[in-house]
Amino acid sequence: MPPRLVAATLVVLTLVITGSLAGSRAAGPAAAPIQSQALALTLPNKSDSLKFAVLGDFGTGSTEQYELAAQMKRVHDLFPFELVTLVGDNLYGSERPQDFQQKFETPYQPLLGAGVKFYASLGNHDAREQRYYKLFNMDGKLYYSFTARQSVRFFALESTYMDPEQVAWLEKELKDSHEDWKIPYFHHPPYSSGDRHGSDERLREVLEPLFVKYNVSVVFTGHDHFYERTKPQKGIVYFVTGSGGQLRKGNINRRSGLTAAGNDTDQVFLAAEINGETLSFNAVSRAGQVIDSGTITRRK
Amino acid sequence: MTDGRVLWLPIAAALAVGCGHESARPTQDGTPAAQAAPADSGARATDVPVLADFDARVKEYVALHRRLEDTLPHLSKDSTPQQIDSHQRALERLIREARADAKPGSIFTPDIQAVVHRLMAQVFGGADGAALKASIMDENPGPIDLAVNARYPDAIPLSTVPPQVLQGLPTVPPELEFRFIGRHLILMDEHAHLIVDVINNVLPR
Repeated sequence: MPPRLVAATLVVLTLVITGSLAGSRAAGPAAAPIQSQALALTLPNKSDSLKFAVLGDFGTGSTEQYELAAQMKRVHDLFPFELVTLVGDNLYGSERPQDFQQKFETPYQPLLGAGVKFYASLGNHDAREQRYYKLFNMDGKLYYSFTARQSVRFFALESTYMDPEQVAWLEKELKDSHEDWKIPYFHHPPYSSGDRHGSDERLREVLEPLFVKYNVSVVFTGHDHFYERTKPQKGIVYFVTGSGGQLRKGNINRRSGLTAAGNDTDQVFLAAEINGETLSFNAVSRAGQVIDSGTITRRK
Repeated sequence: MTDGRVLWLPIAAALAVGCGHESARPTQDGTPAAQAAPADSGARATDVPVLADFDARVKEYVALHRRLEDTLPHLSKDSTPQQIDSHQRALERLIREARADAKPGSIFTPDIQAVVHRLMAQVFGGADGAALKASIMDENPGPIDLAVNARYPDAIPLSTVPPQVLQGLPTVPPELEFRFIGRHLILMDEHAHLIVDVINNVLPR
């Protein structure tokens, strides 16, 4: 059954906070404060749900990364997500110890300190040794899977090097998974309206048949530096969440025919919640605006 | 850890049928992985001794890599950035010193280069060739100076290597990966960030 996308008209949770992000930011690059908008989440926020966030292409150490990180903490204060899936490009450029600090540990320290766990996948800017980094929870592996509450299993893939071994591993993992929700995430988007990169059709040829066969409902990716939610493709919704620090303004090709919703004007991350058969999501911008929201019903 | 076996997928399948050879590359967990040869690989019987020679050269390199890496404190899944950085740079230094006289062609011999060129020409000459090349060239910096036994440039992102291209290349142990810089195919030591060898102009213009 294809996922049912419903505009979130029922506001179960509406919480409003206003203020300047700069005042709550940890040590980071000097920046002019941006004016934060009212934060009006439309997520169920049920006590026993799985709450998580999705973030990609963030490890720049820039002011914008820090401001979005601060926004994530504001959301977490209202909507206590327990984990963040990272869709790659976790550290741009140099990867010396100080870079781990400046581009990851410092901006997300408020979340790390609150017990939020980050689960990384690797992008084309990431050194392979990141798999050993404790705070990325990769278990020393380039690709891996893990379970979460509400019968959810995540599959973190390495999309720059999709060799036959990894494809065979993925199929076995999907086949053997008994969880209701099977959620792959990785860097390169099989579907994207990016003028800069766009859909990785070669990767799609290999992965999409597996996603369809094993009832995947939703896929999270990055690489293109904007936010996009596609119309269902063979029943599956693909998200591009590649503006966690980077941003390529005006890069969404609105004529692609793929876009259900998109934003290429500000940094964005995704907050999501799974309750039984339903995944609810809010895409939140650096300015604190919920720029996209909805629900997805899982395929069976 | 793996046993360092390296086999060309199509040839490996042929060997497996003809000789009862185990063709599976160990997975990242060290367990054997199933693999299948492309239906039309373009590989020839005359490639077998060339590939066997490549296999031996890769094994020799990986044995050196592992011997040197074993002298360093092992990284755990809970490593700090300091531990990761120290390990990576120490391994880089050890391998560079041990291979100080490494020359281009020490692993990619002329015979192997010829086979790679032929098979990749078939891959990139197919209906998807232009799209495959575009995928590889995405964020690829184009021509830069490459040197065997030199560090892979930190500022240059890794090229994507599409699954359709990997299916046409030898399977190598997890210490090594194939990547492209510009049109050149490199064999990269991913633990040490070293360029192990290069084949020039594998991608078509």
